[in-house]
Amino acid sequence: MASSNCWRCLSRPANASLLPLSRPSFSTTAFVAAAPKASTKAPARAKGEKTLRIKKKAFVKTGKPPAPGERKAMRKRIVLSNTNALEVAGMKDLDAEMVDSMVRGEDAVLDGALQSKGETHEDVVGKVVGLKGETVDSLRAVEAFKTTQGWGLFRRPGLLIREESVELCRRMTDAAANKKALRLVIDGEKGSGKSLMLLQAMATAFVKEWVVLNIPEAQELTNAVNDYTPVDGTKPTLWSQNTYTANWLGQIGKANNAVLQNTTMRKEYKLPIPVQSNISLARLCELGARDPDVAWPIFQAFWSEITNPGRRPVLICLDSLSNIMQTSSYRAPDYSLIHSHDLAIVRHFVNLLSRPTSGLPNGGAIIAATSRSHAPISKSMELAIKQSEEKAAQLRGWPGKVTQRDPFEKSYDERADKALQNVEVMRLKGLSKVEARGLMEYWAQSGVLRSRVDEETVAQKWALAGNGIVGEIQRGALWMRI
Amino acid sequence: MPPRLNILGAGRSLAIRSRPSIASQQPRILNAVSRRGYADEKDQPPSGPNENVEGHVSEYEQEMSRITGGTKPDIGQGTPVQEILERDEEGKEKAPEVIKEEIDGSKASANDNLTTFANLLALGQMENIAAGGHGSDPVTVGHKYGIPQLPLASNLNFKRRYDPVVNQVTNLIMRHGKKSVAQRNMSFILNQLRTAPPPTPNPSRPLLPGSPPPSHLPLDPIGYLTLAIDSVAPLLRIRSQRGAAGGGAALQIPVPLGLQQRRRTAVQWILDAASKKKSRGSGKGQFAQRFADEIISVVEGKSGVWERRQLVHKTGTSARANLNYGVRGRRSL
Repeated sequence: MASSNCWRCLSRPANASLLPLSRPSFSTTAFVAAAPKASTKAPARAKGEKTLRIKKKAFVKTGKPPAPGERKAMRKRIVLSNTNALEVAGMKDLDAEMVDSMVRGEDAVLDGALQSKGETHEDVVGKVVGLKGETVDSLRAVEAFKTTQGWGLFRRPGLLIREESVELCRRMTDAAANKKALRLVIDGEKGSGKSLMLLQAMATAFVKEWVVLNIPEAQELTNAVNDYTPVDGTKPTLWSQNTYTANWLGQIGKANNAVLQNTTMRKEYKLPIPVQSNISLARLCELGARDPDVAWPIFQAFWSEITNPGRRPVLICLDSLSNIMQTSSYRAPDYSLIHSHDLAIVRHFVNLLSRPTSGLPNGGAIIAATSRSHAPISKSMELAIKQSEEKAAQLRGWPGKVTQRDPFEKSYDERADKALQNVEVMRLKGLSKVEARGLMEYWAQSGVLRSRVDEETVAQKWALAGNGIVGEIQRGALWMRI
Repeated sequence: MPPRLNILGAGRSLAIRSRPSIASQQPRILNAVSRRGYADEKDQPPSGPNENVEGHVSEYEQEMSRITGGTKPDIGQGTPVQEILERDEEGKEKAPEVIKEEIDGSKASANDNLTTFANLLALGQMENIAAGGHGSDPVTVGHKYGIPQLPLASNLNFKRRYDPVVNQVTNLIMRHGKKSVAQRNMSFILNQLRTAPPPTPNPSRPLLPGSPPPSHLPLDPIGYLTLAIDSVAPLLRIRSQRGAAGGGAALQIPVPLGLQQRRRTAVQWILDAASKKKSRGSGKGQFAQRFADEIISVVEGKSGVWERRQLVHKTGTSARANLNYGVRGRRSL
């Protein structure tokens, strides 16, 4: 994200001449004190002496160079459609009804009752469902799609419904119905579909008309690429990242426009800019997005509005959790490193994730996913996840003990420990063979997988992918990484 | 020269052998029976010591069922003792206690009657259906995924499991022995070909005869790549024989190329062209992007590689008189 420089922030200015400490336009040094200029002429050669002279080839410019920012834009571009791929016939779209039926089916199975008529979750598990146009727009606005995912190979985005997604769907729906907050950490091996599970949660939330806030990559918050400034009157000092917040507010407003434009402000807030009373929340987001200086107070006002009783449920997601479970790369004026939890947005998220009493009176979910490919190792997070899983297993009758912290380990982070004390964990494993088959059949129907999909090929790919790790199945069968 | 005398060598030929620890199984003197004439008998005489025996129980049972027209047991699997004992009253009495108990039914398992071949086949099909597959999926009792059909397909050898063109191009774009990077680039190239719009071939640069219509190419990226490389591959190379043209001038002799060599030359040309292009983006896949662009422009007839091919062919045609240089030259020497 590009940062605009402001006087209060500590980041390095883009334009040095703006600094008050820039060089004065005059000099008091006496001219005579200056060292005499060395003559540029080479000393004369003796007569008859030969020297080797090699002329350098001049650099020949050909063609028009790419415009500034163009190359990066190309790298970050997200393509969601491939016109060469075939349209998959009979692919259903994810909508509110489907979500309801998935939850109903799950309940029917749990009760052991006969399944209700129509579509049950048994029908949907292992199928790929499409995403509606407006859902795709919203997901794109919150940056839920990533460049590393294979969206660009298919006619339109589709999601595989797996057992875990039905489970997540059910728990989100339950949380909304009981007006509670689902606090969840999604973990799993590299390539097991954690980010896609987040995307699925967001897609579900969008079709159920929740308000969705997404932090697509936690490292953008903590690796000191954004401007930051202390928030007045906070002790210990809280740091807000204004440009990031402004951009984030813009994304939130754009993605949730359908919900927010019909929601008006109820309360009055003390904001640094005059804001009309009873404007829509979409407009409020716009105001915050326009001016980074007021973005953080406006975000606070926005948050207190959407958590007013009677509003829609809220989903807040974050990817690659371990980035915010340690000190950030930002520095305080005394040159000490700022802890991630002292950054305003991170603090906001961590408070929601760690507090057992619901920060969401209208219900909703706070979901964080870990990253196993490009993320720092956070010992505290690993321990918390392990302990949480073991506690859950004990509740189901597992006889083992809960892992204790290693007394000789120095790199635990106290604040991270506290934040993740009683968080629930959802572990993603490999796909089942039914799911793997459904996915591969979708690829074959799209025309991008040119092989027979039968039990044998599915079993082959499934076994070679470490018992169905979906990223590995994709790597072998879809990306043709051979 | 007189032969050298070696005193030590004399002892070497004197072997000291102890008595063999195991006496030979074969009697030194053949018994009288083996000397009998077999001409009047139908069967051939057994050639080895243990060949004149009945087949084991399952083989016997199979032979019997062939005669009586019953269900044959599967030779690939062992026949459970219980099954044999069911038909054999005498054996039942002499069976060990454990098996007797089982026969009494005190410990009979429910799976006993599931082990016939037809049942296993049906069970396998039902399992397939239960696992979300179809009943027609391959089921072979005895081997989980069946035995491969003979003759083996060419790609069943693990060294030749991938497409030959993909393999060759991967190796040609590999630099500094980094095959994994080359494979990543190859994957990028194929995916680029899949997602790029279908090419519009140039009629003046004909592709291989019998090539699929351009709209079919993107969904078959390996075919796309193969078509581009094979279409632009030269049929021959020009060998320059130094001093053979007289006056120190080199004589150009056309030499035909094999399939691999033709493809190799084409890929080298494409690589040259791709490395001279300018990348438009930044990041990892830039080289692969340029290579894929070059492949597309080859199929569209825009690439400069076609000129190189034409030049080689033209030179080859004009130098065809030199084809028999080797023969004549050697004779004249």
